[in-house]
Amino acid sequence: MRLSRDYVDVVGGVGLVLFGGWVYAHAAAEYDFGTLRRMGPGFFPAALAVLLMVFGALLAVPALFRSGEGPRISVRSFLSILAGILAFAWLIEPFGLVPATIALVGLAALAEPGFRPIRTALLAVALSALGVLIFSQGLGIPIPAFRWSPA
Amino acid sequence: MEMIANLGLGFATAFSPTNLFYCFIGVFLGTFIGVLPGIGALATISMLLPLTFHVPGTTAIIMLAGIYYGAQYGGSTASILLNLPGTPSAAVACLDGYPMSKQGRAGVALFMTTIASFVGASLGIIILTAFSPKLAEVGLMFGPADYFAMMLLGLIAAATLAQGSPVKGIAMVIFGLALGMVGTDVQTGQQRFTFDIPYLSDGISLVALAMGLFGVSEVIASIGRIDSGRLKAQKITFRSMVPTRDDMGRSWAPMLRGTGVGAFFGALPGAGSTIASFMSYAVEKRVAKDPSRFGKGAVEGVTAPESANNAAAQTAFIPTLTLGIPGDAVMALMLGALIIQGIQPGPRLVTEHPELFWGLIASFWIGNVMLVILNLPLIGIWVRMLKIPYSILYPAILLFICIGVFSVNNSYFDVLMVMLFGLLGYVMLLLRFEPAPLVLGFILGPLMEEHLRRAMLLSRGDPAVFIERPISATLLACTAGLLGWALWSSMRGRQPAEAMAGATAGR
Repeated sequence: MRLSRDYVDVVGGVGLVLFGGWVYAHAAAEYDFGTLRRMGPGFFPAALAVLLMVFGALLAVPALFRSGEGPRISVRSFLSILAGILAFAWLIEPFGLVPATIALVGLAALAEPGFRPIRTALLAVALSALGVLIFSQGLGIPIPAFRWSPA
Repeated sequence: MEMIANLGLGFATAFSPTNLFYCFIGVFLGTFIGVLPGIGALATISMLLPLTFHVPGTTAIIMLAGIYYGAQYGGSTASILLNLPGTPSAAVACLDGYPMSKQGRAGVALFMTTIASFVGASLGIIILTAFSPKLAEVGLMFGPADYFAMMLLGLIAAATLAQGSPVKGIAMVIFGLALGMVGTDVQTGQQRFTFDIPYLSDGISLVALAMGLFGVSEVIASIGRIDSGRLKAQKITFRSMVPTRDDMGRSWAPMLRGTGVGAFFGALPGAGSTIASFMSYAVEKRVAKDPSRFGKGAVEGVTAPESANNAAAQTAFIPTLTLGIPGDAVMALMLGALIIQGIQPGPRLVTEHPELFWGLIASFWIGNVMLVILNLPLIGIWVRMLKIPYSILYPAILLFICIGVFSVNNSYFDVLMVMLFGLLGYVMLLLRFEPAPLVLGFILGPLMEEHLRRAMLLSRGDPAVFIERPISATLLACTAGLLGWALWSSMRGRQPAEAMAGATAGR
C-alpha cells in the first residue's frame, strides 16, 4: 500500500514527541531536578524526555516530505493472541494452570484462518499435560493444576 | 602459566554434572530454535530467564550462552533447505546455500556450515581467552565519566549500525533508557513513574519486557507467514554430506577470513553477528577470482559467513564480560541475567568471580564440541523438526512465555505486563521500530544514570570532566563521529549498515 506521505514515521515521531512531553511534565511536576553537582531524581528522566521529543521531531518532520509504504496489520492474530494472554493472566490465580492453558490455546488458535476444533482441543490437552509435567512436577514451580478460589 | 591454571579452574567448573547438563540443554535448545524460523535466540533467552532464578549464576549464564551460540549453528539449516533464514545472521546462508540445495548438494552445504561454524567458534574462543583479561585490566582504570562515555558509545553504535534508520534506532535507545527509569531511585529512594503500583517499585521486569517485545510480537508477526510445508522430502544421508576435495580446498581460506571479520565485528559494540556475516560475504565476493559464481551455489559463500557469525557470537562476550558493556540485545539480556543473580559485570568480574568467567569460557569449548555432535550425526532429526507446523509451535511458545513469566513472582501482574509489552512490540513492528536498541537502553539506563551522577558529583558539577579525561574524551569523540556519519548518510537516503554490507551482498 503506497502512501503519499510516510505516515508510518509521522505517527511514530508524533507518538515519541507526545510521550516525551508527558514524561517531562510528570518529572517536572513530581521530582526534584537538583543541581549539576547533585542531580536529583528528576534530572535524568527530564533530559531523556527532551531528547525523545527532539528525535521524535527529527523523525516526523522529514517523513512529511516523502512518500511511504503502509504497514500490513493482521488484526485477527493480534487480537486473539493478546486475548489469549489476558485470559491466562485472569484465570491462573483463581482456577489454576490447566484452565488457563486451555483458554490460552483456544484463543490463540483463532489467530489463524480456518477453525479446527479437534486439533485445537488435542493441542490444549497435550500442552496442559506438558505444562504440569515440566513446570509443576519437573521444576517444582508451585502452580496448582486446578484450583477453585474465585475472587 | 596463570592462563593454564585459570583454564583448569574453568574446566573443573564446567565439567560439574549440573553445568554439563545445563550446557547441553542450552546448545540443544539453541540448535532447535536456530533451525526453526519464527523463533530466535532473543525470544528463547527471554523465555528461559525465569528459569535462571532457580539455578546458580554460573550455571544460568552457561545455559543462556549455549542458546546463543547454538542458534548460530542451527540457523543455516533452514536457509539451505527452505531459503528461509532460521536466525537473522543466517540470512546470508540463503544466497548460496539454497542454490546448493537445489543442485542436490544440501548435505555438503550442511556439513560445511557445521565445520565452518566450529572453526569460527574455536578461533573466536581463543581470541576471547587471550584478550579478555587484558581488556579487564584496562577497564580497571575507568572512572565513572569513562563508563558513561563507553555506554553512550555502545548505545549509539547499536542504534546506528543495526537495521533501519539511525534516527529511529536512537529514538528507541532513549525510549528504553526512559523505561529503565521506572522504579525506586537508588540514590534518593524516591519512587519514579510507579503510580503507586507496588509491583513497579523494583522497576519494570526485564523478563516481561523481553518476552513481550521479542516473544509475543514475533509470534503475532510470524503467524501466516511461515510455511514449512514447502520442505521436500530431502534425505540427508552421510554419503551426501561428504564434501569434494574441491569444496575443502575452496573453503579453508574463506573460513579464516570469515573468522577474522567476525571476531572483529563481534567485539565491537553494536555490530553483532548479522553484520559480521554480511560483511564477510561481501569480502569473499571482492577477493574471489570469479565473483560470478556467488549466488549460484558457491561453497565459500556459505562457509565464510558461517565462520564469521560463530566467531562473532564468541567475541561478543569480550566487552560484555570485561567492561559490562553489551554489544547487542542478546548480550544485554546476559548482562541482565547476571545482574538478576546479584553479579555486577565489569572489569572486576574476572578477578572476583573467576569460576564464572573461566567456567563460561571452558563451557564454550564443551558446548561447541556438543554442537558438532548434534549437527553432524543427528542432522536428520533437525531436518525433520522443520516439518513441525507453526500452528502447533506458536501456542506452545505462548504457553511457555506465560508460565515462565508467572513463575518469577507467582503473580498475574507480570503476565499482564507481557501482554502490554507484546502490544507495544507489535505497534513498534508496524511503525518499523527495532526492539533490540530499546532493550539495550532499558538495561543500561540505570547504570548510565548512576555513572553520570557519580561523575558529576566527583567533578563538583563541572561537565568538563567528560572532555578532560583522555579515555572519556576519546570515546565521546568516537561517539560524535559515528553519530555525525550516521545522520549524514541517512540524510543522503542510505542507511549505514546497508551502505556497509547489504549493497554488496548481492541482492
